[in-house]
Amino acid sequence: MNGITRLALALALIAATLWAAPLQAQPTFGPSKPGGPEAGKPAPGKVFRPSGSETAAAPALPDGDWGNFLVDVAYNEPKDPQFLPIRERLMRRQALEQLRLFLSPLKLPRKLLVQIDQCNAERRPYQPGGAVTICYEYIAKVDQTAPRNQPPDGLPREMMMVGAFVQAVLHEVAIAVFDVLEIPVWGRESDAADKLAGFIMVQFGRDVALKVIVGASWFFDASDRAWSETDFASEQSPEAQRFYNYLCIAFGADPASFKFLIDQKMLPERRAQRCTNEFYALRLAFAKTVLPHVDQQLLKRVQAATWLMLDEPK
Amino acid sequence: MSGAANMTMTRCDWFNLDILGARMRISRIAAVLIVAAACLMLQSSLTLAQSRPPELAANSRVIIDYIDPRLQRSQATMERLKKRQVLEDLSMFLSPLKLPRVLRVRTKSCGQVNAFYVPAEWAINLCYEFYENLEAIAPNKPTPQGYTRDEVIIGGFIDAIFHELGHALFDMLNIPVFGREEDGADQLSAFLMLQFGKDVARTTIKGAAFTYLSAKNPRTRTEFAAEHGAPAQRFFNYLCLAYGGEPEAFKEFVDQNILPKSRAESCTREFHQVRRAFAKTILPHIDQDLMKRVQSIQWLRPSDGKQ
Ligand SMILES: [Zn+2]
Repeated sequence: MNGITRLALALALIAATLWAAPLQAQPTFGPSKPGGPEAGKPAPGKVFRPSGSETAAAPALPDGDWGNFLVDVAYNEPKDPQFLPIRERLMRRQALEQLRLFLSPLKLPRKLLVQIDQCNAERRPYQPGGAVTICYEYIAKVDQTAPRNQPPDGLPREMMMVGAFVQAVLHEVAIAVFDVLEIPVWGRESDAADKLAGFIMVQFGRDVALKVIVGASWFFDASDRAWSETDFASEQSPEAQRFYNYLCIAFGADPASFKFLIDQKMLPERRAQRCTNEFYALRLAFAKTVLPHVDQQLLKRVQAATWLMLDEPK
Repeated sequence: MSGAANMTMTRCDWFNLDILGARMRISRIAAVLIVAAACLMLQSSLTLAQSRPPELAANSRVIIDYIDPRLQRSQATMERLKKRQVLEDLSMFLSPLKLPRVLRVRTKSCGQVNAFYVPAEWAINLCYEFYENLEAIAPNKPTPQGYTRDEVIIGGFIDAIFHELGHALFDMLNIPVFGREEDGADQLSAFLMLQFGKDVARTTIKGAAFTYLSAKNPRTRTEFAAEHGAPAQRFFNYLCLAYGGEPEAFKEFVDQNILPKSRAESCTREFHQVRRAFAKTILPHIDQDLMKRVQSIQWLRPSDGKQ
């Protein structure tokens, strides 16, 4: 079945509602619920950019000593010149600088380098004690996969590009965090990293959750392939499983906003019934293992910032 | 018996050294000496612990029950499990575990081939149908890949018990489970199988793996939405943890390319991940002295898996 076709209808539906009304942020974790739901008010014209980093009037993100001191970032120069435009685009958007800001509440016991690099593969798995790497090859694949000729009422290709990029970064950072903070992980590490990434994605209100989760799932859907016997030996799960896992997190976190996933038959009812419990289990795991390493004050500030603006500067 | 001595070595190895001393960067030779010394001490204190010592008490918080089957044909199954004292053994096996409440474990008719943990009842249900199905799918003579009848019946049944035990512990001990819970339960099962020496590990892991090898994998898109991983994924997960924990005993699976090299490379790391999860979330609920005694017992008998 062609995933893109299958999804097109549902995505058009989301697109129609996504920017129509001001959206309520629904923070869902922490011992105390952060109060300020200023998150998620779209301000067209910027991509993956907290408003604070550019305009003085923006709320929440102060100038100065922001960003996680223990996170270093690098856009390594690729040997293959075809990746240079990607490098320039990410640098222009300050994608990794945003990540440094975003990760500021996380108390790390050591330095962590997050880099974009040419890997000669789509992925360079994290090695204990090593750096987090996102490969130019992966970003290029997302660029190629994102459809260029979307109908006017369809979703912008940038949604897939941003969603898949954020997903990959959070996934790889999650694996490093498990290592650095020595977090006990039951279940396959790669699935656990998707869960942590998904959990983070739904902490910034419905607007961010919709954009990133739908964008990331759209990419899994579009890059889905048939899995044969030995493919199942991979430590990564099939795209189809990851697709459903992300949708399940979104639905579990906010059933009202993501009910359309069931109406549109994107998430089978049988699985959907379990998503609330799956989300509770995820929240428990987060609260017990990661939250003790999070600065709550800074977390509230990060949650109150506006993070993901979709419209790409053309 | 030289086999018993060997198994003791391995057992000491996993818990005393690997789990508890993983962070001590000691040289290989020093490690061997420490293990040898620990084993000597263990053996002198336990003398000959080759079979079940009567002084190992059952876990008082584990209540067992063989429930009369609904169907006549399961009567014989129940009698066999009863005679083998499967649940009595399990209760003794669980004696080191400090449970916050009573855990019920029962064999019963379920109307389907399965095993369940029922959170509302704090109960593990082991279905007669599941055991009967194992006897049905177990090959009468070793398969070309080398799976034997005994392995499939023993490994398959122990896997069901350990997997459900995983669900029960995650629930009762409020354990953080970041990944897919079903895989977490599989990991706990495989990890426990690896704590009793190479022979037990091979029998149980091979048997468990076979049951996933013979199951059908998802094909359509929506089949991938299931909460369990694909059987093939589970098959490789078991082999990978086994190879990561006991490289010698499972090397042939890599040599024969049953476990592909690309995955085998990450198996040590996967095993360490599970060992850390176990050490951080379950070990605090375990009486370590009792655990060592449980590890010194030969739980499997030559007659196991036979009619
Ligand atoms: Zn299960």
